[in-house]
Amino acid sequence: MFDIPNIHIPIYVFLFVFGAYMLFYLLYSLFNIYHLVRYGVYGFGLYLIITIFTGGTILLVAGSTMLLMEYDWTLPISLNDAATFSDETLFPAL
Amino acid sequence: MMRLDHLPNQRPDEHVILFLRRHWFALLAIGSAFFLLLSIPLAIGFYFEKTVADWLAHPVIGPFLAIIGSIYFLSIWLVAFLEFTDYYLDTWIITNERIINIEQEGLFNRTASELDLAAVQDTTAEIHGILQTIFTYGQVYVQTAGEKGRFHFKNIDDPEHVKELITRLVEEDKRRLSSLGAVAQGKVKSVVK
Repeated sequence: MFDIPNIHIPIYVFLFVFGAYMLFYLLYSLFNIYHLVRYGVYGFGLYLIITIFTGGTILLVAGSTMLLMEYDWTLPISLNDAATFSDETLFPAL
Repeated sequence: MMRLDHLPNQRPDEHVILFLRRHWFALLAIGSAFFLLLSIPLAIGFYFEKTVADWLAHPVIGPFLAIIGSIYFLSIWLVAFLEFTDYYLDTWIITNERIINIEQEGLFNRTASELDLAAVQDTTAEIHGILQTIFTYGQVYVQTAGEKGRFHFKNIDDPEHVKELITRLVEEDKRRLSSLGAVAQGKVKSVVK
């Protein structure tokens, strides 16, 4: 008889995906800012644009970090328990 | 960084007459798309507040949802900024001696061209459609004798005024060159980076 092994994956694997995305975001942002500084027209507007983008990014990253810090990332996901995620209690409004 | 008082290859007595970007309607389109993409998930989250709160409180679905949400909001912020950069770096500069056309296509393609006013043969302004008529924006085409001699000012404010200005500057430049006894041998120069 073949038994499916009960595999446990820690949920911090999601963080690797997020980290890879953040690396992509950082590289693209820096490249974009370089373009603006290199080819943009000198003036107050240019600095304002870069400040707004950087400020928005800092707010979004800070908000994401605070949200993500609330979770226990060491919790393992058991593939055998995966079926319980489709529990009807997850959709109380439906 | 480019300075309008110190243009690339600036000639003696050359000064900027007009500095153009696309009409603000292009910015409105970027802003509208950004706020739409921002508000749809927020509105859904607000409408299904209890369900979303339950999902976020779940030990496994919560972190997954938080990461997906973070990536989504960061992405629309980044894409909006990339689109804005494309708008911001697309510029046309009209001086008393030449027209400079700088076009940014995505992050990795940039074209800078210049055209002597004396080489301009014909200028055309076009306004098409309801939106362009209401907000008075459209296209200006500058035709020269050369093979690559067609400059396209895309979606600029008040194209009729720009056309008249270019026509007047071309006449003045030709008169200036005639008075100097020079033969106008202008041509399009293009540099692709």
